Amino acid sequence: MGYLGDSLLTAFELILGLDREVRIAVWTSLYTSSCAIVIAALFGVPAGLWLGLKRFHGRQLLVALLNTMMALPTVVVGLVLFGLFSRQGPLGPLGLLFTPLAMIAGQTVLAAPIVANLVLAAVTGADSRIINTALTLGASRLQAAIKLLSEVRFGVMAAVIADFGRVIAEVGVAMMLGGNIRNSTRTMTTAIALETSKGEFAFGLALGIILLSVALVVNLFLNVLQQR
Amino acid sequence: MQPVITLNDILVTQGDNFKLSVERLALQPRRIYALTGPNGAGKSTLLRVMALLTAPQTGSIEFAGDEPHELARQRQKVTLVEQSPYLFKGSVEDNLSYGLRLRGIDNRERSMRIGATLAIVGLQGFEQRQAKQLSGGESQRVALARALVLKPELLLLDEPTANIDSNSLEGYETLLKGLPEFGVTVVFSTHDPSQSRRLGEEVLRLENGHLINGIHRDSKDSVSNKWSDLYGAEL
Repeated sequence: MGYLGDSLLTAFELILGLDREVRIAVWTSLYTSSCAIVIAALFGVPAGLWLGLKRFHGRQLLVALLNTMMALPTVVVGLVLFGLFSRQGPLGPLGLLFTPLAMIAGQTVLAAPIVANLVLAAVTGADSRIINTALTLGASRLQAAIKLLSEVRFGVMAAVIADFGRVIAEVGVAMMLGGNIRNSTRTMTTAIALETSKGEFAFGLALGIILLSVALVVNLFLNVLQQR
Repeated sequence: MQPVITLNDILVTQGDNFKLSVERLALQPRRIYALTGPNGAGKSTLLRVMALLTAPQTGSIEFAGDEPHELARQRQKVTLVEQSPYLFKGSVEDNLSYGLRLRGIDNRERSMRIGATLAIVGLQGFEQRQAKQLSGGESQRVALARALVLKPELLLLDEPTANIDSNSLEGYETLLKGLPEFGVTVVFSTHDPSQSRRLGEEVLRLENGHLINGIHRDSKDSVSNKWSDLYGAEL
């Protein structure tokens, strides 16, 4: 069958046989990315909403900053947080470096500006009558903002899901802050990089197939949301 | 009688552009006011000022019985229905429930009020219909029902019949005429002089952002007894 065919076969055997290392890498990826995305949404959604509704001096600068943060290279985020979490760094005593918590922190930093920006886009693109309609029905400013968020909820959910797709596929932060430790901080992406370099192509392929499947499910879900 | 709303020395500008100036306007309870004037005269701006959506640069707005600056409380007394109203996603019932929930009205009363109000606007049984799938005329009536279900003291309507076909016009006007007897003061803007004569007990005319003194009429038609379903013996 040749090298590629044999590797593909082995990859499917690893997946269908629920190989322990594959399972742990998948679980670590899903766990850290899910935690990061929830925390990022907790910060990003209100920030995007606030920025979308408020008009103040310096708003454009803040939006430009947010756009810049969207394009942050993952290794740069990894580098900065590595400096903070390393033993000599200000957060060194917490002992977070090379733990899943450090990975979650890094992925949150990556994800939050993206969620905020996509929510900002959803809010500014929403029907301008929503807020006034809510106000004239007796809502406070906060209640009207919540109503607006509810009206664009599918856009917001799509933003969060798209962001999850990005975070689970990133490798820089997971590698630099997690350290790619077997059975602890090894994610699908870091495992693919490591195992392939060690010559375990089939193992990397198995994780690659799972990662693609996750991306497919995320995109299918996204399509359903965008049609609503 | 104490006015429902009193506007004093109101000035609205947008950037360097003058939009509206009202020295004094006091609306008496239970009356219908027609707001007329050419395009750009400031009708929508005046309605939005009264709805507390546009803050004037100077002047004061007072509601009967309220201290000035009690904005949240005042907002619950006045409702504006825009010319092209926005209906929230979800069902007609979701739309009518929104303001009632904000006022802490319980499920039973909400359901009773919604049913009665939909019957008044001729949309009986529309509770579960999706708001976004309604026709233009139906949407307009749902928006009116969404305002009426709150029993506002002051109901502001921005060109309410602009999107209503001629067959439904008479019914809609009869509906509006019935409101003052149930304690509602109505202000509606219109381009149609005959409509302002038919409905308006007072005509407020705006020209170039300035309010011309109102014209008083005295005509009231009979009221549909459907109103008592919604307003009961309260009034």
